[in-house]
Amino acid sequence: MIEFLKYIRGYLRIRVSGFSPERFMNLCSNKGILLWKIVREGDVYYMNINLKGFRALRPIVRKTGTRVAILERYGLPFFLPKLLKRKVFVGGLLFAIAFWMWSSLFIWDIELSGNYRITDDMFQSFLKENDVIVGMKKGELDIETLEKEIRRSFPEITWASARLSGTKLLIDIKENDAPIIKEQEEKQAGSNLVSPYAGTVVSMIVRSGVPMVSVGDTIEAGAVLVEGRVPVYNDDATVREYIYVDADADIILEHTREFSDRLSFDYIKKEYTGREKTRVYLRFGDEQLKMPQDRPFLIYDSVIRESRPLLFEKLSIPVYMGTYTYREYMNVEYKYSREEAQEQLSEKLFTFLASLEEKGVQIIEKDVKIDTNDNFWIISGLFLVREPVGDSVAVEKIVIGEKEIDE
Amino acid sequence: MKKRDIKKNSGQKKESLVESLKLPKDICMGAMKVTMTGNHEAWIENYRGILEYSENLILLQGKTCQVCFEGTCLSIDYYTNEDMKISGCIACVRFI
Repeated sequence: MIEFLKYIRGYLRIRVSGFSPERFMNLCSNKGILLWKIVREGDVYYMNINLKGFRALRPIVRKTGTRVAILERYGLPFFLPKLLKRKVFVGGLLFAIAFWMWSSLFIWDIELSGNYRITDDMFQSFLKENDVIVGMKKGELDIETLEKEIRRSFPEITWASARLSGTKLLIDIKENDAPIIKEQEEKQAGSNLVSPYAGTVVSMIVRSGVPMVSVGDTIEAGAVLVEGRVPVYNDDATVREYIYVDADADIILEHTREFSDRLSFDYIKKEYTGREKTRVYLRFGDEQLKMPQDRPFLIYDSVIRESRPLLFEKLSIPVYMGTYTYREYMNVEYKYSREEAQEQLSEKLFTFLASLEEKGVQIIEKDVKIDTNDNFWIISGLFLVREPVGDSVAVEKIVIGEKEIDE
Repeated sequence: MKKRDIKKNSGQKKESLVESLKLPKDICMGAMKVTMTGNHEAWIENYRGILEYSENLILLQGKTCQVCFEGTCLSIDYYTNEDMKISGCIACVRFI
């Protein structure tokens, strides 16, 4: 620090010779002139003296009868005039400072954080629609409106904050953790439970509604299991009115489910030949610079890897570097062997069974076989299952005996 | 002889006064303060000036006495009105 201050103020290396350099030094210190790095070589002394002190040296030199010679000059007061002579350099420096100040009027980077379900792409297209883009002027950005617009466009965002940090626009959002409750339509009470399959009722527990079938009944597909229209009888066993309820019951139906799937004998597999070509590209904002090139291979896919050099990320400059890797592949036809086909098909069967299990279906019997026809392996299965059933269907309203009520 | 006695007496009085008031001695008595780290560096305060300076000997004038630093490769790192720093290989410090 002290060295730096000395440099700013400027100092000299001088050579002092003559009758009494010691007296010279004493006088200097008395006048408050700082001397340092004093070295004696024979009869001459070398020392450093600051510029201000050197200017006040004349009376001391006269008094002591010593001779002072300047050996070297250090510091800004000597360096600056030399620098100012280099007009182009000074011009460039001023231009750089001006450019730097001018460029800080723009937004150079937009950073989004706190998004889980809303993807960056979604948000970016939203920003584009609202004319918030990289390279816009800071003055044109109205943060308040942007925040409001974010909350309006994305109802799942419960909190949004945007702020400018230097030339970077930081957007913080918080998404709603709980699912959004959709307003349910006011539904009039009254629904039946209907069976989607034909089968035999195995068990039945009715919580509300009038049961239309009983355990052991064989029913058709679409048959009403529990009715949501509960009649209220008069004393003479005629219906006075109906009360409509949402039928609710646990009904287990035994029925047969079918499953079939097929697999063609041959299939096409991507086989990479191992030949790859890599191309480097540069991206400035939305502009991409890459080497023009022909179709690299006959059939290929490509992998893009993009990164931003750390320097540009820190400086918020939208410059990205990346590579395209083209990988050649061939479409090779294969035939499934019996084992492979069996494996593939049973995998499909297992996913089907797992989906049944998820629904709470109990399997009583199963009968699966694998066949072939002209071009396919075919798996087909029959399952005797016990499955909870009951689809809610709105009940028809019946208006009865208005006359009676009138009376 | 008498004058000298009086001076000595007043010196003793002054010393006891400074001692009882717990004032710093180096300032009040005009004594030199020498701080050394090993035999390579020395900081000196409270001096009047340099009497002699060469590679092997530095002689300083204090308010009450003189101090002589002897050694080899002696040089003055800085020199101001308040303090100075001597570096080099100091072999001997003598108060004259």
